[in-house]
Amino acid sequence: MNFATLNIKGLIKSLLLRKFTTGLLILQLAITLGLLVNSAILAFDTREKMSKPTGLDDENILIVSTHPTSGSYRDLDYYRSIVNEDLSKLNQLPGVNSVSITNQLPIRGRGMLSNTHDIDNPEQEKADKYLKDVKYTLAGEHLAEAMGFTIIEGRFLNKSDELDFDSEAKNNIVITESLKKGLYGDESAIGRETNNGIIVGVIKDIMLDPTLPRDKQYGLFMNTIMKYIFIGRFYVINVEPGQMANVRNQVSDTILAVQAERDIFDVFTMSEHLKNFYRDDQGLSDLFLLLCGLMIFVTAISSYAYSQFHISRQKKYIGIRRALGARKQDILLYVLTENWLVYTIGCALGLVMALGFNILLSQYISLSKPDMMLFLLASAVIFVAGTLATWIPAVKTSNIPPVIATRTV
Amino acid sequence: MRSASMLAYNLTLAMQSFKRAPSLYFLVVLTLSIGVGLLCANLALVNSMASDPIPEKSEQLFHVSMNTWPNDDPQAEPFHILRYREAMKIVSSDIPKNSAVFYASGVYARDSASPSLKRFDSSVRATTPGFFSLTNAPFAYGSGFIKSSVMEVVIGHELNQKIFTGENSVGKVLELDGELLTIVGVLKPWRLRPLFYHATEGRAFNLTDDIYAPLETSIDLGWSIHARSSSTVSYKGVKFTRDRDVFYLQAWVELENSAKKQAFQYYLDNYSQSLKDVGEHPLAIRNELRDVNAWLLEQNIVDQKVLAFTLASVLFLCVCVFNASSLLLSRFHSAKFEVGLRRAIGASNKNILMQGITESALLGVIAGLLSLLLSWLFLKLSIKFLPDLENLAVLEPKLLLLGVLLALVTAIFSALYPLYRGTRYTISAELK
Repeated sequence: MNFATLNIKGLIKSLLLRKFTTGLLILQLAITLGLLVNSAILAFDTREKMSKPTGLDDENILIVSTHPTSGSYRDLDYYRSIVNEDLSKLNQLPGVNSVSITNQLPIRGRGMLSNTHDIDNPEQEKADKYLKDVKYTLAGEHLAEAMGFTIIEGRFLNKSDELDFDSEAKNNIVITESLKKGLYGDESAIGRETNNGIIVGVIKDIMLDPTLPRDKQYGLFMNTIMKYIFIGRFYVINVEPGQMANVRNQVSDTILAVQAERDIFDVFTMSEHLKNFYRDDQGLSDLFLLLCGLMIFVTAISSYAYSQFHISRQKKYIGIRRALGARKQDILLYVLTENWLVYTIGCALGLVMALGFNILLSQYISLSKPDMMLFLLASAVIFVAGTLATWIPAVKTSNIPPVIATRTV
Repeated sequence: MRSASMLAYNLTLAMQSFKRAPSLYFLVVLTLSIGVGLLCANLALVNSMASDPIPEKSEQLFHVSMNTWPNDDPQAEPFHILRYREAMKIVSSDIPKNSAVFYASGVYARDSASPSLKRFDSSVRATTPGFFSLTNAPFAYGSGFIKSSVMEVVIGHELNQKIFTGENSVGKVLELDGELLTIVGVLKPWRLRPLFYHATEGRAFNLTDDIYAPLETSIDLGWSIHARSSSTVSYKGVKFTRDRDVFYLQAWVELENSAKKQAFQYYLDNYSQSLKDVGEHPLAIRNELRDVNAWLLEQNIVDQKVLAFTLASVLFLCVCVFNASSLLLSRFHSAKFEVGLRRAIGASNKNILMQGITESALLGVIAGLLSLLLSWLFLKLSIKFLPDLENLAVLEPKLLLLGVLLALVTAIFSALYPLYRGTRYTISAELK
């Protein structure tokens, strides 16, 4: 132990003898650390985004996206009758709690939007730009049960909210909690009139558009999907826990049995839908992790080559040390300490690299700032990987017999 | 002659050297080729995203944005989609050599003569006839439709493969969402990367369309709008859009020189002024013509994620070069006896240097070839992680060349310092 501490000066001297290789290794270590830290940030960021609560019954919602392929569906009454048949057949499947239809799903960017303001106060939109792009969802009356909405005021849409298709009467609408706050603050919204209709209910916020702030999940629902049936692309099915696989296997056949001329694009759960929304973030984060793996591999090779090179040059001196009484473990420790010193310098420089790389990357993508814990964690990875890589050369070095000294003097 | 035999000699020496330390040279080649391969794969993606899809006339094709939003509320900037009335104003001008206004739609298609009821999901470009000559669409059979309101279509290569197994299908009748339309033209395989004519709404890297249908016909048939539309009024479908404030048509014009461009700008501004005069143009008059590359640049279509990853792979290549450099240094160090010997029997420093460079160039070529394979592999991998990039992942010949060159340069660069050190060993010291 003393051997190592006493010789810190000697170590530095010996490192300086190999300025070039040491310099290269330190740079490599610093870059590797910089990448490691930022990849970890990306991975954690992605994970955090995906774990935000959606306000929905994610695991138990099955979605079918479908579209008719035949020209007969241009007759909207025919279209409606088929949809009603679909819905009732799906409802009869064992394990299905509730079925509904909608034009668009939550957890999506943009989509069908409408500006929304209190009928007497169009100026609201000037003060709150999010009111210009309120998610405008056409729903059936069972959508609340199918999605698992929580009603906090009034009621959800019902049959009486579905107007005659040529009616010019005002629609009844249900809005999200954040939209209610945006329009009316803490006052009750029930019975108030907006440019899009009269509010009959308020539901607890759900994640409509993950790219918008949590308190700006503005959305409204109206029972007009049968009127505009040609945009009713999604069947939403609420499934009893544990019955998902079962129901999932049957939905396509059930729908096609009603009428076969349909294209079923996809059948997926709400949690898969959420995952899919973040697919690119996940992909990028995975790519970065892959690159990290490659980088650690290359850096480990360098560490190995560095120690190996070192032995071939220092054989003589180590032989002399052994002859002068240094034990094997002293030599082992000496070689490892030398490497650790290099790693320490590399990691210190890596801190700067991590910050710089973070700034550079944030020109292109959004990612959090590095924190000290991550930096320490990444340093630990470097130390472990480096020590593993230098272990064999270090052991080899410690095996240099003292007799070398006599041979080379 | 002498230099040729020197080269042969140097190559033999290099091969001997490789044989002496195969694992070390393998590692050098491996790290360099991984580094170069990864960077190349990313550059291939960036290259696809940033390339000029129609170089022969990208400077003469202009996208039209106008500022005709009917109230002063949301749309303060010129809009990339237009109303039917503006679109018709553009098409009726005789200043452009060609013009095209269109929207994106989709139908299900089958051969009306086929017994099978299987229908294919097909993307539709509902467009005026000028589209084909404006975009230089390549015809395999037949030609474009001449009028905007006929029951005729042009179909793309892939759809023709799917429905008619690639044969000449001109004259055949397709059933599209229950309507019968006759095929008048079939395109050759047509790739536009990026899809400049519809670069908005994240469609810049979509494939070209399956069906090209006349605009008026599509509107009359009520084929719905599949891209962004915006309106200040409610309407019951595309059939009712002609005389309403519904914005959904994109417009492109071909203007061969700056005089024509100016004339057309003047034409548009005049039109806007006429609207303003009757109080239908509340916003400032701002009509913008952007050529293909300016338009693509403005759409910011180069994926920022790919750029970020490219940046990381540049750093990775640096690490690979450093690694190769330190490996080579240790190799040259252990070969110093041999170098000393060769110097002693008359080789000059220059000879030694040449030999070293030959060796590293050979390394570079091998790494380059390996990196081609790896970049193909990394491209496949990137698509797996980022599926949206699928239509972009192509290795063009120039990128293959770049890959080999990059490997060569990095290999020689890695060897520079080790070589410099190698030629500085004194002969006597090494032969002691």
